[in-house]
Amino acid sequence: MRLTDLPRTTSFRLSVLFLALFGVSSLVFFWFLYWQATSYLDSSVDHWIQRDSVVYLTSPGEIVQRLGTHAERDPDAWRPFGLFDASGRYIAGNLRSLPEKPVPFGRYFEYQLKRNGHDAPFRGVGYRMPNDDILIISYNVNEIYGFEHLLLNAMAWGGIMVFAIGIAGAVITGLGAVRHINGVTGAIERIVTGNLAERLPTRRGAGDLDRLVNLVNGMLDDIERLMREVKGVTDDIAHDLRTPLTRLLGGLERARRRTTSSEEYARAVDAAIAETKAVLGTFSALLRIAEVEDGARRAGFTRIDLGRIAADVVEFHAPVAEERGVLLSFDTDSPAHAHMYGDPSLMFEAISNLVDNAIKFSPAGGCVGVRTFCHKGRVGVAVSDNGPGIPYQEREAVLRRFHRLEKSRHTPGSGLGLSLVAAVAKLHGLTLTIDSSYPGSCVTLEREQSGQIPTPSAAPPASAAPAEDRGETEAHAL
Amino acid sequence: MTRVLVVEDDAQTAAEIAAALGDHGFEVECAHSGQDALDRAVADRYSAIVLDRMLPGGVDGLTILSTLRGLSVDAPVLILSALSAVDERVRGLRAGGDDYLTKPFESLELTARIEVLLRRRTVPERVTMLRIGDLEVDLLKREVRRGGKVIELLPREYRLLEYLMRHPGQVITRTMLFEEVWSYRYDQRTNVIDVHMGKLRRKLDEGGLPSMIHTVRGSGYILRAPD
Repeated sequence: MRLTDLPRTTSFRLSVLFLALFGVSSLVFFWFLYWQATSYLDSSVDHWIQRDSVVYLTSPGEIVQRLGTHAERDPDAWRPFGLFDASGRYIAGNLRSLPEKPVPFGRYFEYQLKRNGHDAPFRGVGYRMPNDDILIISYNVNEIYGFEHLLLNAMAWGGIMVFAIGIAGAVITGLGAVRHINGVTGAIERIVTGNLAERLPTRRGAGDLDRLVNLVNGMLDDIERLMREVKGVTDDIAHDLRTPLTRLLGGLERARRRTTSSEEYARAVDAAIAETKAVLGTFSALLRIAEVEDGARRAGFTRIDLGRIAADVVEFHAPVAEERGVLLSFDTDSPAHAHMYGDPSLMFEAISNLVDNAIKFSPAGGCVGVRTFCHKGRVGVAVSDNGPGIPYQEREAVLRRFHRLEKSRHTPGSGLGLSLVAAVAKLHGLTLTIDSSYPGSCVTLEREQSGQIPTPSAAPPASAAPAEDRGETEAHAL
Repeated sequence: MTRVLVVEDDAQTAAEIAAALGDHGFEVECAHSGQDALDRAVADRYSAIVLDRMLPGGVDGLTILSTLRGLSVDAPVLILSALSAVDERVRGLRAGGDDYLTKPFESLELTARIEVLLRRRTVPERVTMLRIGDLEVDLLKREVRRGGKVIELLPREYRLLEYLMRHPGQVITRTMLFEEVWSYRYDQRTNVIDVHMGKLRRKLDEGGLPSMIHTVRGSGYILRAPD
């Protein structure tokens, strides 16, 4: 933005607009003041003229004598009174000649007289006497005119100063805005061209623009964090998918090179199918996490019984635990009340992932406990084990996609299980906490029982989900 | 011969589905657009229809399905979709679908489900006793006998067996078992169901009896009378 753009800035335009509004209103105000003042002064002069006129007009016989007395008292002719005959010749008074312009009889008029070599303004009334003589009663109004002139002068200068200061102020604020906007647009251009670390410049104070800038900067922080996360996830995906794809390719190439019998081909194809299934499985798991994080599944929420789902999970995994020599137990402190809104399948899957992990990492003879609780207004489920536990500094990291602890690298699994648990927990408004005391760890999902699920969607119709509802009902028929 | 109509706009996917169903002994016809599907389904009698949800021109397969049901075409319909959300599935079933399968799927999963859909129409529901070979299930008493000897099963094992007994000689995939017996819906990728099935099989085969539950390579089971 260049300086020529100044008139286009909002602050400059606003300043000029207010300057114009202020100018017009002060013009009206000053005009009114001027009009009131001058008419007051004029009317006071007129009042004096009126009083003097009455004295002279009511006694026409003494008029010459009175004018003589007046002339003696007022030799400087501050109040020039004069009597003239019908042809305009001087008879008496301290006004020696008729004004140059014709006298409008019976009305106030103004005229000029030479005084001390200068024209001076006078205001008076001319009367035609019954004998056709002309009487002029007038006052010097030099001071009044002077005052009026002063008033106009003061107003003009005041106006010019206000205008100048106003324009200067508008330019200054406009320039400030131009500079700030230039800074902001420059920063935005740099961000658009790829420098995500750039932030919009802020000024001291909390103007409206600065509030906006602070908001945008906060948004940029979020975007930068998300970009970093997306990049991290993309790298992880690339890495974790490249491994099975490399194996797949290697296996197929080897089959092409060496295989001679159809049995060997069949084996190679089976291996390729298994590998492909694993890759597809990883993709599905990623998509599912994305779908859960998206929050669209809240549309299918129903009232679920956490206790029953947890009991189902335990029953589901019981034979595996038995096979591995792990003691799997279920416990609830409130058999009837651990209810909440949610998606039964997702909750089953989340708890199932936790139990599966716990069994997988427990040593033979270990214990895995699943406990649902509902007390002090909090409802939730906790899965504990006495396996190796999760190191403190890894607590956050295990929730990330593909993250696997070093010592678990050799066990099967995609590293997506806990990410899904975290996504499901978030969808249900559940807090996920990981407590770990060597040995063993305890993962808890809990929330306030009465609290609203964040942005709840419309409750599903009562007759909805012919198949899904069974998650809560039929599943426990036996 | 059982005739199946496959409605799928992607020619290669349609060909793969047709091949898989053909290998399984079905006669397959393909329709590549919604209008084509409607014309064929109304003109001909098909035993089952495989319907893709996304059809060319932005046509939702569910619209086709509702239209078909409105025209009293009552063949079982299996919906294929890339949309896996539960409410999408519920919508599909409510529109008149009989089953819902999310892409990508394995061919075994598709054929097994169609088999079950076809059989569901023919098996009378009002039986009180299921009998395959020397294995008997009394549905009223919930009692299982093999060769006259009572076998004690856990409730979940009983339900697994009952489901297999209702579909003898058919491939039942793990996913189908999980959906039917546990009634939760998601892609179970653990081997937990295999462990359950292993326990059930050991109980049924106790005393060295020939095995009746066979593992199908890939991801399923089949219950057959011993030869």
